[in-house]
Amino acid sequence: MKKLRFVILLLAAASIFAVHAQAQVIVIANPGVKATDISKNDLRDVFTGAATALPGGGNVVPILLKAGTVHEEFLQAYIGKNDTAYRAGWRSLVFSGQASMPKSMDTDAAVVEFVAHNSGAIGYIGKATTHEGVKVLAVR
Amino acid sequence: MRLAVRELMAGAMLTALTLSIGLHAQEFKVGSKTVQVHGFGTQGFVHTNDNNWLTMNTSNIGSGAFTDMGLNMGMQITPKLHIGGQFYDRKLGKLGDWEPLMDWAMMDYRVKPWLGFRVGKVKTVLGLFTDTQDMDFANTFALMPQSVYPIDLRDASIAHEGGDVYGKEKLPNKLGSIAYTAYGGRRADNMHSGYPYLLTGIAGITLTSYGGPVFGGDFRWNTPVRGLTVGMSRLNEMITGKGSYNGQLGIPAQPNYQENSQHDWTNQYYGKYVKDKLHLESEYRRYYRDQTIFSGITWVVTDVRGWYMGGGYTVDKWLELGSYYSHYRIIPSGGPGISDSYPDAQRHDFDKVVTAKFTVNKYTYLKVEGHFMDGNATALYPAGFYANVNPNGFADNTNALVVRAGFSF
Repeated sequence: MKKLRFVILLLAAASIFAVHAQAQVIVIANPGVKATDISKNDLRDVFTGAATALPGGGNVVPILLKAGTVHEEFLQAYIGKNDTAYRAGWRSLVFSGQASMPKSMDTDAAVVEFVAHNSGAIGYIGKATTHEGVKVLAVR
Repeated sequence: MRLAVRELMAGAMLTALTLSIGLHAQEFKVGSKTVQVHGFGTQGFVHTNDNNWLTMNTSNIGSGAFTDMGLNMGMQITPKLHIGGQFYDRKLGKLGDWEPLMDWAMMDYRVKPWLGFRVGKVKTVLGLFTDTQDMDFANTFALMPQSVYPIDLRDASIAHEGGDVYGKEKLPNKLGSIAYTAYGGRRADNMHSGYPYLLTGIAGITLTSYGGPVFGGDFRWNTPVRGLTVGMSRLNEMITGKGSYNGQLGIPAQPNYQENSQHDWTNQYYGKYVKDKLHLESEYRRYYRDQTIFSGITWVVTDVRGWYMGGGYTVDKWLELGSYYSHYRIIPSGGPGISDSYPDAQRHDFDKVVTAKFTVNKYTYLKVEGHFMDGNATALYPAGFYANVNPNGFADNTNALVVRAGFSF
């Protein structure tokens, strides 16, 4: 019984942590992007190269972080792949001529800067990062 | 001289790729636009307990004549317009011969998500992996299931010169999405591929050209079950082979040898399921070819039916384990002078495979793979085992160890 209680507590703690981790990443877009929110499926399609436009909202261009906790959290929460598998998927598109590799930025601030000044750009940053000049897309 | 030029070009490509490992992906500007440079390469080693496999001398110590590489450049001109090209070079035993090929070179214009166009030399969409089969870094297995993706016949279906129409559309009522590709053009095989090599050995035929018009399509449904994709592909071809024949089979020699397909088509059906660290795939391919040979004197039919089922599981960020069962069967028949009587071992190859893929870092990896093959499928059509490199005949069964390391950037 004690073991069961321990497992339940552990699972509860893990799920709280998972929600917490997901909440630390926000999705941002250039103010010219029409959408105000984005579904998880559409977000995954855009960031895996399966789609280049949002429903009813014109073309979008994904911007990545090179590495780091926010990048790992984003991949974990919305893509379901580790960084190696994720980039291998993009390279498959590149080597079959279906896409260019998305730009990868060193810092959250660089992502904000690029997204703010490039039409159709969509990226992700840590929640705590200042993000003036971009719009935040709610993920549903 | 020609060989030296090839080796020089191959060496230049390898050098460029090797340098690039340290430099990672490169970019440079043309006007205001960025050109991306990417590359990949692999080096393999194969040892078999019996039978030389894939035109390599694998049955003694083993063979390392298993190298390939690609160098790619691409530019996104506008959000809808992309251009690019890729060189590819390989040495697989007696195949490839280090002859650099323009793997693809095309312009891609995506008008809408549901309508796009590709023009140039375009990778052919046929089943799950035809267009991505060279991208070893993205695959679990060192050798794809050979019943459906024979590495010795890679050139036969990898690309066409022509155009594609393609698109993707969401279905209403959360029924998922559909994607389609329709294409037409021309196929022109490299003469260092498996089929010309086979003809040289068993029939004394030296092909100088092999190809012709192709058209086909692919339709796939990303189902409402998240991660589950099913689809089908069709490829029609009208192939002409030209060359010379030396009289080896008793039919009089023909300095202007020709073979022509009467019917040449491929049907492929497939399904893929991806969930978290697990992926499962299965495909069925039927390749049917009915052709006149020896300039119309006789004919041959090769009816190849292959399927596989397999998958992989990512245990950790550095380790993926995988396995597949690959089932190949050929039903040959021939006209006057063409034997279609073969023992069962020469009509099938059932391959059970286990793999471990070790990811060293985001650019490099190593695969270790075991193959346990029942049958050698040496009847009339290439399927991995060639008389040219097995002059003493074939054993029915073969076990193989394949080690393959690679990188991409």
